[in-house]
Amino acid sequence: MLRTRAKWLRIAAAMLALAVVAAACGNDDDGDGVVAPVEDAAPEATAEAPAPEPADEPAAEAPAPEPADEPAERGEVTIGVLVPLTGELGEFGKIVADAIEFGVGEINAAGGTVCGNIRTVVADTGGDPETGIREATNMIESEGAIAILGPTSGIMVALVDLAKREQVVIMSPYAGTITLNELGGDFVYRTVSSDLGDGAASGLWLSTRGYGSVAFMVQNEESTISPAEVARTEVEEAGIDITDFVVYNPGQPSYQAELTSVLASNPDAIFLAGGQESGVTLIKEAVAGGFDGEWLFTADLAVPEIFDAVGAELINDKAFVEFADADPSLPEFISFEERYSGAGAPFAPNSFDMVTLVALSLEASGQCDGAGINSVIRDVSDGGTAVSTFSEGRDALADGDDINYEGASGPLVFDPSGTVSGAYTIQQAQNGEWVNVEFYPASTFVE
Amino acid sequence: MNWPQLLITVATIGSIFGVVTLALNLQYARGGMINFGIVAYFAVGAYTYAIFTQPSPKGLDQYAFGLDWPWWAGVLAAGTAALAFAALTGWPTLRLRGEYLALTTFAFAEVFHSFLLNERRIGNGTVGLSNVERPFGDWGPIEEKYVFAAVAALLLLATLLAFRQLLASPYGRALDAIRDDEVAAESSGKPAANMRRQVFLISAVPVGLAGAVYAMFTTLAQPSLFTAEVTFIVWIALVLGGERSVYGAMLGAFGLVFFEEVVRAWPFETVRSAQIAASVEHIFTGLLFIAVLRFQPFDRIQRRMKART
Repeated sequence: MLRTRAKWLRIAAAMLALAVVAAACGNDDDGDGVVAPVEDAAPEATAEAPAPEPADEPAAEAPAPEPADEPAERGEVTIGVLVPLTGELGEFGKIVADAIEFGVGEINAAGGTVCGNIRTVVADTGGDPETGIREATNMIESEGAIAILGPTSGIMVALVDLAKREQVVIMSPYAGTITLNELGGDFVYRTVSSDLGDGAASGLWLSTRGYGSVAFMVQNEESTISPAEVARTEVEEAGIDITDFVVYNPGQPSYQAELTSVLASNPDAIFLAGGQESGVTLIKEAVAGGFDGEWLFTADLAVPEIFDAVGAELINDKAFVEFADADPSLPEFISFEERYSGAGAPFAPNSFDMVTLVALSLEASGQCDGAGINSVIRDVSDGGTAVSTFSEGRDALADGDDINYEGASGPLVFDPSGTVSGAYTIQQAQNGEWVNVEFYPASTFVE
Repeated sequence: MNWPQLLITVATIGSIFGVVTLALNLQYARGGMINFGIVAYFAVGAYTYAIFTQPSPKGLDQYAFGLDWPWWAGVLAAGTAALAFAALTGWPTLRLRGEYLALTTFAFAEVFHSFLLNERRIGNGTVGLSNVERPFGDWGPIEEKYVFAAVAALLLLATLLAFRQLLASPYGRALDAIRDDEVAAESSGKPAANMRRQVFLISAVPVGLAGAVYAMFTTLAQPSLFTAEVTFIVWIALVLGGERSVYGAMLGAFGLVFFEEVVRAWPFETVRSAQIAASVEHIFTGLLFIAVLRFQPFDRIQRRMKART
């Protein structure tokens, strides 16, 4: 019996060792194979296609290149789309992934990048950082992704180490977490401002609305606590009475205990910085408990589904929501809106900007990897000829110009932490939909 | 699909969860203890490693201290902390039996999870500790992912060997006797309560070490990683593999991780396909569990091997 066990043990040990060795032997295919099509592709492109250099001999002699036919020969470049398609932020993940898909479609239709057409690999994180890391690793190691777009706050923070280690750019259109104010900047970027800006916008709205007292209900998450803290400071400075500042844990069947003291104080408004699941329950319970004041929600609740989930009659005219938004008066946004029907959804312009920036960075650096993108992404979005689409930017670069990508979400100038400054919108619940009532341009918060 | 990458991930994650499954196997199948809070010991190991190796807090960090010690000190501390936590929680809980023990251990794990969520000075609250030190980055020509897989596999083998030796000894037979008939075992001089406590403590150490390796591998120690779901996954692995055998427990863990990784490794190139995959993943996982539980392939392999001997 003992001998049989020992035999089993040896077999198990051998199997494990074989797995490790087999994987190690496959390393060459794995690592290089992933990058090879991309790296091989670039020289081919320059060798056989005059496309990148038509600028030297403009229009007259060189026939207009027909880039649409070439990318197949130039290979592909892979970008990972890592978003929550399920879970609390699933609605946003879908918006972001769709906008990226639209951007990729535009870029490929315009002939693709110097590294070839963009191929996307999409994965659902479910909002879980561990899944995010494993999916991101898979995208890099197995699929050869050179950039990963779309992670939420917690996952962005968790991916910082991986991004720097693997030299892959990660970028988010909605990760406002203030932790990235310190960690971001090198391989880590976002096309949205930090939560500090959200907090400032919420605080400004609460301070100027004429409330005498406000209660804060804040989900115990970093992405909700940090804007709430900033908003609290603003509200305190405005001399408004803060009746409660309750930090609650999500996932509870009821929030009666947390609401007891809030409802007893009967504030003029409740600032609810929470997710969709907890938010819906909380709103219903607060109204059932007799709360008749106004609400200000954070971006998580800025989706139309909230009206069905809560019941539109409970929040119509009384609820407001604040989120980072594009300036609708910008010509770049108007143009984006004309081309893409989903442009008005939260973070759609920011998502489109991410993929366009990545494509322009590939074009500008001529280097088909994350390090290439990282080396030029700031230059591409600051100083030079203003461009608002990939094809405009590519043509300007081919002419030897320095370009400044003006995004659909606004001017994208990255600060040292890889963050852009942003504008904010306040919407009101009216007849079962969100309607714009206030817009704070980025200049509002510049000191 | 990139099979070498898939294999290496399965070897790493499977080995880590294999260690936890082996510990649960020792506690349940041999010690007769139903532990529904095993995730807490895993979390203790991961957090201890992170706290011991993390640099001091700066900027927006909310944790009170990071010792910035070398990785091996973090690993040692992880095992010790898991042992200490087992001693602390084992003392009141092990007086209970069966479902009462299950409920109490589950409650302990939930309390600990809540503590991690709310006490920001220890583990940085909901944000947790990110970018935890990965010690095997510069091992010459060998890529760190292979070193990680080897380390996790070695930990699994060491645990397997230690548990096998323990269970094959007179001590193991005494444990079996206690599990089968406690009164009879006690009447022949076996200290049942003491031995049960010892098994609880011994099995917590590799779980703590596995937690440390997990924190290194994922570079994370966040409350969201250590929910009751981990406990259930380990239990499912144990049930899938057949709880009466250490090899079955190990195979169950590998089988479970392999299936998860195969689903994840499939590249979806459109949003729609990824969305559909995300929706049906759990359905397929559920169907697979039902099939495995119905046909019990791992258990059959075990029985066939036994019959041959």
